[in-house]
Amino acid sequence: MDLETVKERAGPRAFSPKDDLPVEYREAATRMIQFHANSEIMGAYLERPFIRQAPSLDRKLAFSAKVQDEIGHGQLLYRAAESLGVKTRDEMLDELANGEGKFLNCFHYPMKKWTETPMIGFFVDGAAMRRQATLKRSSWEPYAHAMDKICFEEGFHVKHGEDILRELATGSRKEQEMLQEAFDEWWPRIIQFFGPTDDKSTHHDFSSEVGLKMMSNDELRNAFLTAYIPKAEKYGLEIPDEPRIEKRDDGSYKVVEDDLDWEEFFTVAKNSYEGSDIQIGKRHDTQEAVEWVRNVLDQHEQAATGAAQTAAD
Amino acid sequence: MSAIDHLSGPADLEEDERQAVETLLYRLADDEFVLAERYTEWQVRSPTLESDLALSNIAQDELGHARLWYDLLEDFGYEEADLIWERDPADFRHATLVELPFEGGDWADAIVRSYLYDEAEHLRLEALEESSYPRIVDRVGKVQAEERYHREHATNWLERLAETDEGRARLQTALDRVFPHALTLFEAVDPDVERRIDEYGIRTRSLEDMGEQWLETVVPFLESLGLEVPLSSDRTVTAEDLPSHVGRDGSHTDDWFDLHDDFTHTYRELGRDSADRIMPDPDDQ
Amino acid sequence: MIWEVFRQEKPGEYHTHCGNVHAPDADMAKLFAEVQHGRRKPTNSLWVVPQREVGEVDAEEATFGGSTDKSYRWAMTYNRVDESFAEEVADSQREQETADREREEVTSGGSA
Repeated sequence: MDLETVKERAGPRAFSPKDDLPVEYREAATRMIQFHANSEIMGAYLERPFIRQAPSLDRKLAFSAKVQDEIGHGQLLYRAAESLGVKTRDEMLDELANGEGKFLNCFHYPMKKWTETPMIGFFVDGAAMRRQATLKRSSWEPYAHAMDKICFEEGFHVKHGEDILRELATGSRKEQEMLQEAFDEWWPRIIQFFGPTDDKSTHHDFSSEVGLKMMSNDELRNAFLTAYIPKAEKYGLEIPDEPRIEKRDDGSYKVVEDDLDWEEFFTVAKNSYEGSDIQIGKRHDTQEAVEWVRNVLDQHEQAATGAAQTAAD
Repeated sequence: MSAIDHLSGPADLEEDERQAVETLLYRLADDEFVLAERYTEWQVRSPTLESDLALSNIAQDELGHARLWYDLLEDFGYEEADLIWERDPADFRHATLVELPFEGGDWADAIVRSYLYDEAEHLRLEALEESSYPRIVDRVGKVQAEERYHREHATNWLERLAETDEGRARLQTALDRVFPHALTLFEAVDPDVERRIDEYGIRTRSLEDMGEQWLETVVPFLESLGLEVPLSSDRTVTAEDLPSHVGRDGSHTDDWFDLHDDFTHTYRELGRDSADRIMPDPDDQ
Repeated sequence: MIWEVFRQEKPGEYHTHCGNVHAPDADMAKLFAEVQHGRRKPTNSLWVVPQREVGEVDAEEATFGGSTDKSYRWAMTYNRVDESFAEEVADSQREQETADREREEVTSGGSA
């Protein structure tokens, strides 16, 4: 199939592994889905300390279940990416561990306190879910299928995040203050979650032409702010003065982008931020430490396949 | 043994009976809770994505069991805060097997420990199926239903890891380290109370009895994988086989106090005085 | 030899199991499955898989993620917050409610 045909036929779930797709499509889709998969794993790294540090048995269970789900999402997404035939899962996981793999800006920052957890669990997950719901109509069928399963599970994550937000916002004065501090720190990063405005984004045009991506950065950010600003206000959070956010007559929002630190954003995007090294370093070390187990499994698999081959011959 | 047929409900127990029931429940709940706490260290750090999901699930199973057993202690007027978050770490009654930290990448330890624990757990739950304390009997079945997966998971991994020289060597190192601590699973919190637990029929099999049966199961299996079980004499446990801290009697390793400090961190930082609940009470299910 | 057959009705949908055929090899299995399982129901694609290659685990032996209360995994447990503010969160919760109900039915049916 040539690129023109791909663009003509690009509809929801239009292409599957049996289609002969041009390399431009396969590479763009791999880049997008690999980024998504990497983000699931690195998000889980950020949240895992709070399995241990959760302040109740039920919260501990919920955090463990959520981190488990994120790894499950990684499993689904790497498979959807792998089926494009560009890279294997092992290659993508190696890239993530050695610092070549890219992932969401928010997951480059450390999360130190329990009062920060709703920033990821409610706002970032809520933002991600907004985007993921649109990707059920992606043109790469395995990606859309993965999105069906991810969106099915994700409602638990967002509600769990909001429930912690609710608990803290209605808790002691100290909890409320710590919550506001966390919000002030995370809010600009959350706004940057959707990336730069469309005219600055490099990959948008092609991805939307071939049906990989459904909505632009601006549209998604707007959809997010429309639902989540009222939520923040409901819980008594003060929206920081910067970045300035203006409400248009039609109810949509305009973010004054110059108020955001795009230099930091692009440093983060290149994995060159100081937090990037820390997060990726953890991934690298923990993956290397269990390399021996994967080797044992590989040897077992080769022996088992070899035996089956001999039996079949 | 002239076991009592049925103990009454939590409100009507004699003091001695209540102490026996509480002691048994602390053994169960603390083991499950602390083991799960350690298992969660593998979340996002397991060898593959699939094995990560599986071990996470086992951790949640164990935490769920701890929740069921702690809930029975709440019958006696305690709250979750008393049982976990504000309890003196020296009062925990788990075996030291479950409190040891995992060394980075030591998946062999995770598997060996799980195997040794789950075989003991299997025997322990069987000995509760016909407990004289009805509140325990009601909950054993649901816990047992999840233990099948744990044992299959551990044995399947053991068999595969033992296939290569490196895997077997790592299993041996882990076994040498944790086996003495596994023996503490069958140690007494207090010999008098343990005897009463048996007399009252709260448990239908004594610790010694279960410990012997456990050795008869795990030693031949581990040997069949080419591993050497570190016991001073053949298949009997002597005092010199035990580690210096046995957990059950309140003596713990330093690692336990560090762990306790870590998992109570947020509770203390926020100055909480109770634990938030999300799930319905097990009795209302 | 028996081959299990999975049919996808329309492009983009899932392949779901629809039956099986007896055939001596994969090529013959595909020919037979085309007619046996595709001749009336809308069909975009069929997968055929040797039955002996299909591993099975069923509710007799497995609890599929657990038998004790794991309600913390479900959106509807968090009933002190409201899902209706975002369509995709509400949709997720509806799907989870359905799955939870069906899961209960299977569990109670299995143990009866």
